[in-house]
Amino acid sequence: MSPIRPSPTRKGGGPLTIATLILATWAIASAQGRAGGGGADMAAQGEKVYNQTCATGYCHGVKGASGGAPRLASRGFDAAYITQVVRAGIQGTGMPAFGTTLSRGDLTAVVAYVGSLNGIAPTAALIPDRGMPRRQLPPEAAKGRALFYEAIRGFARCSVCHQVDGTGIAVADPIGKVPENVAALRAIASPHVVNATAEGSTFPALVLSKGAITVKLYDLTTKPPVLRTFAAAEVKIGGASNWSHNSAMAAYNDGELESVLAFLKVAGGGEK
Amino acid sequence: MTKPRLLRSLVIFPLAMLPAAFAQDGATRNEWPSYGGTQLAWRYSALDQVNTTNVTKLAPAWIFQTGDPDNGLQSTPIVLDGVLYLVTARSQVFALDAASGKLIWNYKYAVPRTPGANTQNRGLAVGAGKVFLGTYDDYMVGLDQKTGREMWKVAVDDQRQCGCAITGAPLFVKDKVIVGSTGGDGAFRGYLTAFDAKTGHLAWRFYTVPAPGEKGNETWRGDSWKFGGGATWMTGSFDPALNLVYWGTGNAASDLYAGDRYTGKDADGVDLYTASVVALDADTGKIRWHYQEIPKDVWDYDSSYECVLIDREVRGVMRKLLVHINKSGYAFVLDRTDGKFVGTWPIVENHNWNTGVTEDGKFLGRVEPVEDKPTFICPGPDGGKSWNQTAYSPRTGFLYSPGLEMCTDLVAREQEPAEGRGFIGGTWTHRDPKDGPARSHLDAFDPVTGKKIWTYQYKYALLASILATAGDLVFSGDPEGYFFALDAKTGKKLWSYQTGAGHRGSSISYAIGGRQYIATPTGWGSIAGRAMAAVWPEAETFRGGSTLIVFALPEGAK
Repeated sequence: MSPIRPSPTRKGGGPLTIATLILATWAIASAQGRAGGGGADMAAQGEKVYNQTCATGYCHGVKGASGGAPRLASRGFDAAYITQVVRAGIQGTGMPAFGTTLSRGDLTAVVAYVGSLNGIAPTAALIPDRGMPRRQLPPEAAKGRALFYEAIRGFARCSVCHQVDGTGIAVADPIGKVPENVAALRAIASPHVVNATAEGSTFPALVLSKGAITVKLYDLTTKPPVLRTFAAAEVKIGGASNWSHNSAMAAYNDGELESVLAFLKVAGGGEK
Repeated sequence: MTKPRLLRSLVIFPLAMLPAAFAQDGATRNEWPSYGGTQLAWRYSALDQVNTTNVTKLAPAWIFQTGDPDNGLQSTPIVLDGVLYLVTARSQVFALDAASGKLIWNYKYAVPRTPGANTQNRGLAVGAGKVFLGTYDDYMVGLDQKTGREMWKVAVDDQRQCGCAITGAPLFVKDKVIVGSTGGDGAFRGYLTAFDAKTGHLAWRFYTVPAPGEKGNETWRGDSWKFGGGATWMTGSFDPALNLVYWGTGNAASDLYAGDRYTGKDADGVDLYTASVVALDADTGKIRWHYQEIPKDVWDYDSSYECVLIDREVRGVMRKLLVHINKSGYAFVLDRTDGKFVGTWPIVENHNWNTGVTEDGKFLGRVEPVEDKPTFICPGPDGGKSWNQTAYSPRTGFLYSPGLEMCTDLVAREQEPAEGRGFIGGTWTHRDPKDGPARSHLDAFDPVTGKKIWTYQYKYALLASILATAGDLVFSGDPEGYFFALDAKTGKKLWSYQTGAGHRGSSISYAIGGRQYIATPTGWGSIAGRAMAAVWPEAETFRGGSTLIVFALPEGAK
């Protein structure tokens, strides 16, 4: 789930609520459709969304004729199934969850369109598109969010070691207390980063587990950190390393770090 | 696992029979050490125990079912020191006794629990005592070659953000393992990453799309470089003498609409280094040369496929060449020392996207998709060939390539990029070519001139890789489940065997204790595999699965 498109669950509306809502609005729309007019609009809107989102040859193909993903036309799908799959995706397959990336109106329309490919009568009036309930971040925090995950920084970005809102690699523990300011952020101590010695070299390490047989640790020599597993006898865990979090942030200047902090404060210190 | 027992080789080295100029050797023998056979990507075995006269006696010696049939079996097995290493679509790794199929170890990677996973895997790399696995969720993992124990694991990217996945086999080069990724049909900036084989430490990363301040960034309009595509989703090659790693780069994104990325200037390339072959210094990842095959790619012609490294005479002069096919239906012949264009030739009959090509490789009369109106274009984004790899035999001197005669109605559409989400910029619908029904073929070509020596025609799509052997055999499999052998000189079908599931993987050959084996993955799947149902409705019945079938001559029947 991308931080740029936060889950509606954060606003309190659970996924089930959304699914129910789509079904409900569709049912209402269908009833209105039968009462007269509007169904064609809905189908047209749905086809437009479908063509932009689902119709590429790598996915379901134009008019659901199949592409790299299965055929959708004439499959005997019912409305509840289509709604469920469009909203939540299919676990373990290439089908993503669109419940958090499409607006409610688009979602309803595309479900109606796929329904029409399965012989379910096109539905009624286009549901007004009020858009997804998006969390509006203050500008500074929005900037910080972009910086936190910024792909063009490669392995120098924060999310190479930190996971917030379900995105990023959880090398470090979830961010707990967010530092007050950049000076405090730069001064963060990391006593849990220790010197490990293995295969003839000593390196900064974050120990994950220290069993009688194996030791698992993150080797912080390079970014991205490497999760390494050693036989317990092969590795020696020493005292605190001189590795510093400040050096890991070298790609960011003070102004950028201020924005990142503004984001983390709003993000509530990350998902626990 | 001892080396000496493997030295009882049955191999008659064919190189001795060739002109002295063929000093370079890309053949495999008792082992199959790398994705493309050797790092030169010939997919050619110098074993000749199985040959044109006895191939009809081939029978299964052992069969291994992975138990992980999701999305078929696309893998190329690796064989080293009598052990065969195999990976499934969902990143499950097996080490098997290559003579008996007995399980030695199994590394169980966590299967995907989230929607949107790209579960495909085309193979492993093995070297420096480790087995290297790239995963569907963008990790590189180093396993102990003897025990399968995880030694290191590192996040190459975050699948939830990049929308990318590692589906191609990594390439082991000297002391490093190099790996690419998918993502170029989404809003994504491509790269190639090298890790230290021993520790997993980052060695280098090369971005296929240069950042501002780097040469080549000026070939992108505005900020379009940030999501410019250029995915490195297949496996490259390595020339040890030149210390160069060669890799094909994918299409620019959005795939079909260039309005947001095209600067209007063509002289020095468009949207570099997409739809190109790049040559990188193996130690540093620094670019030495590039050749852009499809400047301003608006067809998803994607130059990601294998780079076949051969030394051949061109107009009387011995040259170090790189032969590379992309989706456009053309093969490109380059000088691999400097990337200079040597020639190009078509691998398919239907390639209407241009009206001709100049002596220096410029395509004329390009037919480009337009907005909101279908344009009939051949080949389509499935390609004149899919990723399934060619084979090169130094005995016949031919390159054996699959070819797809398929066309599409392409529609371009302007699209706003959203990171990690689809960024195709249009749609396509499959169409039959003008000269008949959609079909495929396996052909033998002179790799320099493109002269077609023979053709083997097939009514559906051939989507399995090719294997050539010194027994003058060419092996491949079809989606109906037949694994077959052709005469490498004539293309005549000599043998076939119904394996019970469609073929989308890559067969190999190796020998243990003086017995030659031919191993083929079976199990239909993959994105292109599923897309065939839009062309042939019966393709929905092609059988999936995930089984390795290993053939040999009955013992004592040589």
